[in-house]
Amino acid sequence: MAQMMIREVIVDTIRSEMRRDPDVMMLGEDIVGGMGTAGGPEAIGGIWSTSTGLWEEFGSNRIIDTPISESAIIGSAAGAALAGKRPIAELMFADFVGVCMDQIWNQIAKFRYMFGGKSRCPVVIRLIYGAGFNAAPQHSQAVYSMMTSMPGVKVVMPTTPADTKGLLTQAIRDDDPVLFFEHKALYGVKGEVPDGDYTIPFGHARQVRAGEHVTIVAMGMMVGLAERAADLLAKDGIGCDVIDIRTTSPLDEEAILDSVELTGRLVVVDESPPRCSVAADICAMVARRAFAALKAPPEMVTPPHTPVPFARELESAYLPSPPKIMDAVRTVLAYR
Amino acid sequence: MAALKPFAMPKWGIEMTEGTIAEWLVAEGEPFERGKVLTAIETDKITNEVEAEAPGQFARIVATPGQTYPVGALLAVLADGPATDAEIEAFLSTFKAADALGSAGRDTAPPVPPEPAPAAAPAATTIPDDVKISPAARRLAEDRGIDVGAIAGSGKGGRISLQDVDQAGRPPAAGYGGAPVSIAVEDGDIETVYASPLAKRLARQHGINLSGMPGSGPRGRICKADVLAKLPPAAAPAPAPTMSQAPAAMRPAAEIVPMDKIRRIVARRLTEAKQAIPHFYVRMEARADALVALRAQANLFLGARISINDFIVRAAALALVEEPECNVQVHGDTIHRFAYADVAVAIASDKGLVTPIVRNAEALLPQEIGERTKVLIARAAAGRLSHEDMDGGSFTVSNLGMFGVDGFDAIINPPQGAILAVGGSRRVFAEQADGSGAFESRIAFTLSCDHRAIDGAAGARYLAALKRLIEAPEALFRR
Repeated sequence: MAQMMIREVIVDTIRSEMRRDPDVMMLGEDIVGGMGTAGGPEAIGGIWSTSTGLWEEFGSNRIIDTPISESAIIGSAAGAALAGKRPIAELMFADFVGVCMDQIWNQIAKFRYMFGGKSRCPVVIRLIYGAGFNAAPQHSQAVYSMMTSMPGVKVVMPTTPADTKGLLTQAIRDDDPVLFFEHKALYGVKGEVPDGDYTIPFGHARQVRAGEHVTIVAMGMMVGLAERAADLLAKDGIGCDVIDIRTTSPLDEEAILDSVELTGRLVVVDESPPRCSVAADICAMVARRAFAALKAPPEMVTPPHTPVPFARELESAYLPSPPKIMDAVRTVLAYR
Repeated sequence: MAALKPFAMPKWGIEMTEGTIAEWLVAEGEPFERGKVLTAIETDKITNEVEAEAPGQFARIVATPGQTYPVGALLAVLADGPATDAEIEAFLSTFKAADALGSAGRDTAPPVPPEPAPAAAPAATTIPDDVKISPAARRLAEDRGIDVGAIAGSGKGGRISLQDVDQAGRPPAAGYGGAPVSIAVEDGDIETVYASPLAKRLARQHGINLSGMPGSGPRGRICKADVLAKLPPAAAPAPAPTMSQAPAAMRPAAEIVPMDKIRRIVARRLTEAKQAIPHFYVRMEARADALVALRAQANLFLGARISINDFIVRAAALALVEEPECNVQVHGDTIHRFAYADVAVAIASDKGLVTPIVRNAEALLPQEIGERTKVLIARAAAGRLSHEDMDGGSFTVSNLGMFGVDGFDAIINPPQGAILAVGGSRRVFAEQADGSGAFESRIAFTLSCDHRAIDGAAGARYLAALKRLIEAPEALFRR
């Protein structure tokens, strides 16, 4: 076991998968970094440093620095995947998934279904998402809820270095398209990472805390906030079961339902706005399948139904936080 | 600042629902000691004096002598010292009458969960039109007298929902929290095995290694059954009890028959009667040998076919004349007494249970009752009983003796005051007057009485008269 940051885990995992399988390749804007601006390959490894050193090892045929065109990146990745490669495409900002939505939504997600199961499209799209950087509405969004509603793709949201390794390895080896959501604020998170081959099958939630009063379901960046809230509440004698769902599609319904049947109370924390969100989806699923177990209406902790604000003060008011989660937990406990 | 307490209408006994203030024996503001008689209260049954349980005074006397108040109603405000009008008014506005069946009186019922005193008067209120509130929530708040001004609505723009109003009307939830709890996950942070929490717990209990075990749960998850399959088989388990009956799914569904009109009326009237009338039951057995012998003789001499039931109807009518307290109808707060005995006879016909009346049964001889009853039975079988055949009566005879029942309890047929349930004739070995033992025939009678009009002693006297007539039946042939 090594102590690694999530950013290092991503580079490390891509590197070992590229060494293992010559069909694995990577493409994206600036993933080599500043290529040609000073007359030669100035490889800085992308603005997120999630491809540092890959170009030096694998060269321009497998690490492709692309122009600023998300449609081109995703379209090329789709074609390469159909032709037998295992491309990893990087969207520097998930917000721009809109311009390549046809490639994802109408093509990548549909190939296997439209060709009677005879074709496969093993593409991994890494989407860097999330707010908290004062980066304004077009560079801060959590678009995973929209993508989760789309049949034909798997949606993965790692939160720890170990999970990042296990889930990214699984994603690269998966024969179906995977949308891999990486939160900007988590790149510096350090933790133990298992050595050697390590995969985590999709659709298995991780139990983060084990309490009996309230179930808190969270994903991505929100898991850490839920952990903080649960730890503070535990000091007050309130035990929260915290579940990191890891993949929003497929969803580990059993883990959520098992917990709610024990606690009878649910709080879902989600970074995307509330309407048609993963939080709304989970609340609906629990209301429908665990109605008899519920002791209080499910609560959601989400941003409001607005774009992400630019001002720091507004942005922090916009985002879920441990105090907001604690308030929601106390609300479901106060239900009469 | 005086401590104020309600002085409410007490509840003496299960049937007391209201009481009348006879007089106040202490004036407002007059201090009294413990044990001082404060007032006299009349109930349906008794008049009782109420003594002070503690020294104090009446800050305010609310109830007027001669007026009737329900159990739990506020009669006066007790104080431990002089109280200001403002204090008394504040107390009066928050007083909430205890449930009539609750803890108001000496009968201690389970305590009602404490309701928070509503901010406004508990009576129904009207909510201004400009309040943002859903229609159903408005109705609920108005019905329950809940102050919506104090509710922070959960809807758009603070709109108040039904759930908000419902929550505001409930006591706070039990508190959570206190000593710190541990919420650490036992397996640590990094997962290498995908198993349900229950499977993991079982594996820990039995020291089973889950790694590499194939899972049969969703998406290959190791579940409880997978772990249990790895356990060494326990000692031979007890054989599971076998089902002797076919599974429910194999049996034909119940036949659903809607009630016809008569059945619906019978159902409604009997339900009302059993719920509304305070029934009590008196039982007695009568020796029937003389009656049986007389009937055989009479049928022989008269060439008639008088049934045992005809004799019993006759006896029941004569007993009603003897014991007029049982010969009544009950109409609200009034009791109607009769100089004659119109006795209803319960007849189970194909059309349902009917109770036509044998009028002036006290004046009819058994054979006349028999003729009259035969006509009624024929009409019942044809479904041609008229309103006149059915209307009125003060008493019913219901006889199931022909089915061999020992006895039963009948439901009163309102507005009649009582009903007699007649069992079958049984042979009983009993001690005779001379001390010897012999077999005798006995019929069991149960008299159901409406306690609003008939007291136990009257019911008992009635049955005694009936028994005398049955055991010395010659009197039944006297005009």
